[in-house]
Amino acid sequence: VTAALRIVIVGGGSAGWMCAAACAQVLHAERYAITLIESDEIGTVGVGEATLPALKDFNDLLKLDESDFMRQTQGTFKLGIEFRNWDKPGDRYIHPFGSFGQLWGGVEFQHHWMRARALGLDPAPLEEYCCAIRACRRNAFDFPDTKSIRSTFYGYAYHFDAGLYADFLRRWAIARGVRRIEGQVMGVGLNAESGNIEKLTLKSGEQIAGDFFVDCSGFRSLLLGETLKVEWEDWSQWLPCDRAWAVPSERAVDFTPFTRSTAMPGGWIWRIPLQHRTGNGHVFSSRFIGEEQARETLLGALDSAALAEPRLLRFRAGRRAQAWKRNCVGIGLAAGFLEPLESTSLFLIQKAVQDMLRLLPAPETGNHVDARLADEFNRLSDALYERIRDFLILHYVANRRQGEPLWDHVRSYPLPESLRHKLNLFESRGHVPYYKDGFFSRDSWLAVLFGQGVSPKAYDRLADFVPREQLSEKMSDLHERVATHVADMPLHSELVARYCSSSPQLQAAAVP
Amino acid sequence: MSAAAVKDLIIVGRDAPVWLAASVMQFALAPAGVKVVVIELPSEVAPPDVYATLPALEPLHSRLGIDEGRLVGATQATFSLGKNFIDIAAGGPSFFHPYGSTGARIDNKEFLPNWVKACRFGLPVAFEDFCLTAVAAKQGRMLVPDPDIESYGFTDYAYHLPAIPYAAWLKVLALRRGVAVHEARVINPVLHAEEGAIAAIELDGGRRVAGDFFLDVTGAQSQLLGSALGVSRESSHEEFVADRMLVAFGAPIDPVPIYSEIRACADGWVGLYPSQACTHVVYTYSSELTSDDAALRAATSAARIPLNGAVVRKRQPGRCTFAWERNCVAIGEAAATFDPIHAVELQALQIGLVHLLPLFPVRSEYAVERAEYNQNVRSAFERIRDFQAAHYLLNRYGTGPFWAGARQVPPGDKLRHKIDAFRARGDVVFYEDETFMIDDWQALLIGHGVMPESYDPAIDRTSPDLIKNEFRRILGFIRDKVQEQCTHSFYLQSVCAPAGRNG
Repeated sequence: VTAALRIVIVGGGSAGWMCAAACAQVLHAERYAITLIESDEIGTVGVGEATLPALKDFNDLLKLDESDFMRQTQGTFKLGIEFRNWDKPGDRYIHPFGSFGQLWGGVEFQHHWMRARALGLDPAPLEEYCCAIRACRRNAFDFPDTKSIRSTFYGYAYHFDAGLYADFLRRWAIARGVRRIEGQVMGVGLNAESGNIEKLTLKSGEQIAGDFFVDCSGFRSLLLGETLKVEWEDWSQWLPCDRAWAVPSERAVDFTPFTRSTAMPGGWIWRIPLQHRTGNGHVFSSRFIGEEQARETLLGALDSAALAEPRLLRFRAGRRAQAWKRNCVGIGLAAGFLEPLESTSLFLIQKAVQDMLRLLPAPETGNHVDARLADEFNRLSDALYERIRDFLILHYVANRRQGEPLWDHVRSYPLPESLRHKLNLFESRGHVPYYKDGFFSRDSWLAVLFGQGVSPKAYDRLADFVPREQLSEKMSDLHERVATHVADMPLHSELVARYCSSSPQLQAAAVP
Repeated sequence: MSAAAVKDLIIVGRDAPVWLAASVMQFALAPAGVKVVVIELPSEVAPPDVYATLPALEPLHSRLGIDEGRLVGATQATFSLGKNFIDIAAGGPSFFHPYGSTGARIDNKEFLPNWVKACRFGLPVAFEDFCLTAVAAKQGRMLVPDPDIESYGFTDYAYHLPAIPYAAWLKVLALRRGVAVHEARVINPVLHAEEGAIAAIELDGGRRVAGDFFLDVTGAQSQLLGSALGVSRESSHEEFVADRMLVAFGAPIDPVPIYSEIRACADGWVGLYPSQACTHVVYTYSSELTSDDAALRAATSAARIPLNGAVVRKRQPGRCTFAWERNCVAIGEAAATFDPIHAVELQALQIGLVHLLPLFPVRSEYAVERAEYNQNVRSAFERIRDFQAAHYLLNRYGTGPFWAGARQVPPGDKLRHKIDAFRARGDVVFYEDETFMIDDWQALLIGHGVMPESYDPAIDRTSPDLIKNEFRRILGFIRDKVQEQCTHSFYLQSVCAPAGRNG
């Protein structure tokens, strides 16, 4: 019988416990032994309270009960992100987890809509053909139809307390055989010939040997960065924000089924509604605003009373040049950081965990490193990071906030060629890029491009096949269906209270 | 509303490609006020020529309103469920490349890793025996998807379309839909003095057809994009050594097979593509290794039937640097000549058209559309090339110079990584713009003996008994389902009208 491959995970935040839980669920316990080392002395960043719809797939992989998971993490539903003041002060738009309209005759809806406008049919604003957005406007939420789509397609994600989520997964993973070791890693032992990591030495003097290591140590990147010297690729020329103040406040009256992101002179403020409180934070660039002023800005913008002193986080945008080197994979902040503007933090973790699981060395090969598998992991990781990066940059570059140094700066810097091309294509004819690997979808690009005021000069003439009168009818019919669909949805607050309320008291922390 | 940026679209070319292009453009763009005019050049196809298509043609036909039964009846076409690759050069193993998926998910996980694992424990059943499409094909059965089959997996079909009647059919269709035509023996593209774009095409007899936008469907000569606009052509002769194609026909095979057969022989390969009227035979070889006379002998010997009407064609595999330059897009062979191995000619044509439609000029300025098109089409063509290159690179067809040489051609980085990752884990690396799907790659790589060295660790959670039971269930399902299907011959007689009208 082959000995089990020893996987050692360093760090116990969201990344570490998501990784451990998925390993425990997917791998055979006799073939893979999972150990996680975490220290109570090292805090976790706990970013990523807002998520993307893919997280539901991750929870489904673990076969979590949704209402129980939400109860235990103070979870709420999320249909998208509202961006305020990003194009210019006073503007707002929603990037929904759903489509605008429908594909008619294989032609995307925005072309039909632009044509209707060109024909003088006076269609409603584009966002009114999106049921996810209209639900946001009403603070309503309902589960998507599983059988037939009533109006337009949508999915949903969650807001939750990332610390509670890690706690939840910790209990879950330990109950399924993950060995947790409390301790601080003080030394890393490498094999003299291969350069592979062989063992970790803890503060207690205990030594933990392993075959495969997952670095979830956060920004420190203890194994991948410090030990294996994988270079940091800096992206701050495009994404200049490098600090965030975070502060919880009381649950606000406005219980939104969406995250809010409000552009400010020196950065932007997030607002995430949870069941028991609201998460707030101010992401800013220290080049353009001082820390103290940024703190004041955040406190002044709260719509409910602060529950704690603001906490300062320091970061930089970028990633490690290789996420998998030798017998070590970096997951989460140890591999890279992109500001939480589009709630991608947990998604990046989830995707890395799933790819790693598929490409893990077989126990038969022991700690022998198969570069072919690492290459594939890194290829997938690169594509994902670069595409998310482009999408984030789009929010900054397409602004009309004149006279504010940060915003003037981001408007003027040279774009990655890939993004420049996408912008040109959309301006030329409303064409939205499509790609298979990585995020984001066409609807996401569409929402942000239109939302940030990028205006196409023409529509795709393939839309001309719909006769004028029929177009008018189809548009108003769809508009009506979206309206009645959304009108039937319960309020977000009602549905959460009914489905997954954590009050009157937190459920005892029973292992699910 | 503004007028269309392009009012007169001129399509220059011949045979099925020009009429397929014209039908697609007319269908999609006539509502926008685009007038489609074809300049038809003399045919270059001969009776033995056949299009062995890929499955994507069926949905395109369907979109154009083509009645499949009538088309198949009128052109004496047949259906195809895949390609059978046989080794008569070295007597090595054969394999089937089916137009459908293999196996079914087990315990909600992929089939392939389960099969790889079972093989380690001595499972004696070939990968393709778990493919409904492949088994049906070998038993001569037509496979019409029903809800049972759809829940089991994916299955599709293609055609063997005799080139002359197919072109005639498409021409009638295009003309009926309102495409205008000028027949010409000689053409001379005329450029705008300043812009350098094409202004008009002069035809023999002093005729002149002016237009705003041009499609070059003139085949490998690329008379518009290449000759008139000077876009260079990159040769891929280094990668694909075959530069000759001998086409001929023999007697029909009875009962008529529902697949193509590709037989690797000492200095090339023979493809047998059955139609209802005859068996179309293509012999592909290198002029450096084989004379044309020797080719006919080799083809006859490999086909094992007497051949008639043999024609030898020169082929220069390669592609133009840009498929879209100024106001002209090269479509089909004018854009790229592929190796004949997987019969991708119409597929490449279709890729060119399908990418063009959503980028077709809507304003007088379209440089960004052109850049997008050139990038996407190039990428799609490169992925097709990879699939073909893998077939040559991985061959085990003996030590003759044709096949041994093919094994020496270094693969591009993407293909190398794809083969490496498959060999390491059985994972098909799936890039952007792939034409061949994961199932196709699995069939190709396993068919050529690339056995994954490890498998997705997730399947170790599934109990061996469950896997065994699922294997039995799948094989039983395939056996029963195939028995329920009618034979290809019966399907052709009963569903496809023997002599159809166009429509």
